[in-house]
Amino acid sequence: METQQLVTLVPWTFIAQILNLFIQMYLIKRFLFKPINEVLEKRRQLADKEIQEARTAKEEADTMKTQYETDIANAHAKATEIVQSAQKEAQIKADTLIQEAESQVAGMKARAEADIAQERKKAINEVKDEIGGLAMDIAGKVVEKEIREEDHRKLIDEFIQNVGEAS
Amino acid sequence: MNFDISGAKIFFRIPTGIPILGDILISETLVISWLVMIIITGLCIFLTRNLKVENISKRQAVAELIVESANNLVRNNTGGTKFDKLIPFVSALFATSIVSNLISLVGLRSPTADLSTEAAWAVVVFIMITAEKIKAGGLLGYLKGFTTPIFIMTPFNILSEIATPISMACRHFGNILSGVVINGLIYAALAVASSALFGLIPGAVGRFLSNIPFLDVGLPAILSVYFDWFSGAMQAFIFTMLTIMYIANAAEG
Repeated sequence: METQQLVTLVPWTFIAQILNLFIQMYLIKRFLFKPINEVLEKRRQLADKEIQEARTAKEEADTMKTQYETDIANAHAKATEIVQSAQKEAQIKADTLIQEAESQVAGMKARAEADIAQERKKAINEVKDEIGGLAMDIAGKVVEKEIREEDHRKLIDEFIQNVGEAS
Repeated sequence: MNFDISGAKIFFRIPTGIPILGDILISETLVISWLVMIIITGLCIFLTRNLKVENISKRQAVAELIVESANNLVRNNTGGTKFDKLIPFVSALFATSIVSNLISLVGLRSPTADLSTEAAWAVVVFIMITAEKIKAGGLLGYLKGFTTPIFIMTPFNILSEIATPISMACRHFGNILSGVVINGLIYAALAVASSALFGLIPGAVGRFLSNIPFLDVGLPAILSVYFDWFSGAMQAFIFTMLTIMYIANAAEG
């Protein structure tokens, strides 16, 4: 079989090898670099997305935490306020009740005293009348003469007054 | 015993009648180049089947490793992502070179043992370097670059410029050809030695055994670790690295 020279440049082989090199470049690009780079890019995007998501989730959690803390602080403040106002109200109510009770007691005492005084006056008057009548009866029997009540009223009253003062 | 080393076999000769280009020779070089291309492309397709984003197969891991190494090699040596469009070219150059070099291990003739192949690659690289230089400094700047540092240096500058592709092509070709020559010599020498050794056995047995080159088994395999494996991988790497370096330097001005 015919052979080439050991060291020689064959023009058509030279051209063919240039073309082969570029065809090979295209084939490698098409079948190795394109698909692999796509996959690598996809993986990178996935990783980026996950990091982004994690960051967002953390931010959300932080916001929620802050909100909860504020809420709890508010709730504490409100509870304290409610307790204080309740205490105040209770105090006011208790004070009012005591005052009312006191005034009621005072009123009752005054009324009772007034009643007692009136009863006493009434009793005294009754006693006076009775004594007056008795005195007149006794005097009539002693004098045997009807003493006119109007004429001697003054005298009787004086007497009764004396009795009252002596009693 | 005769030993002779010739160039690639010519399977067909297609006459063209064009004066300088001559006839189209469908030689071993071309046929095995196509075989190399089929191997590389087949490997690429095989490696990138069933690509997944998560939970990748070993095959995909290898493919990703190759792509990442190619990216890193180019980016580290050019300093940045400016030459990313060069990555497939460099990878094709490296893959073709190394597979061509190592295909001699299965007894085929390397396409790289033909100067036409390396010359073709070197000329492509030279054109790229020149294009990059012109792009960086303008045509005038490029031409002015030849007169530095003084005008007298112009012929030497032109020589050194032309020496770049020639040295690249010849370095690669020389290494591979030397491997072919040395391997051929070793096989031939060992066959002679084997013949002489077994010829010492008297009678018909000696005559029969002396025709079988027993010593050709084993020893050449050890030597081929250097001449085929190491030299083949090294030359592919050197050619690729020089390509990257030259183009990166050209872009810097």
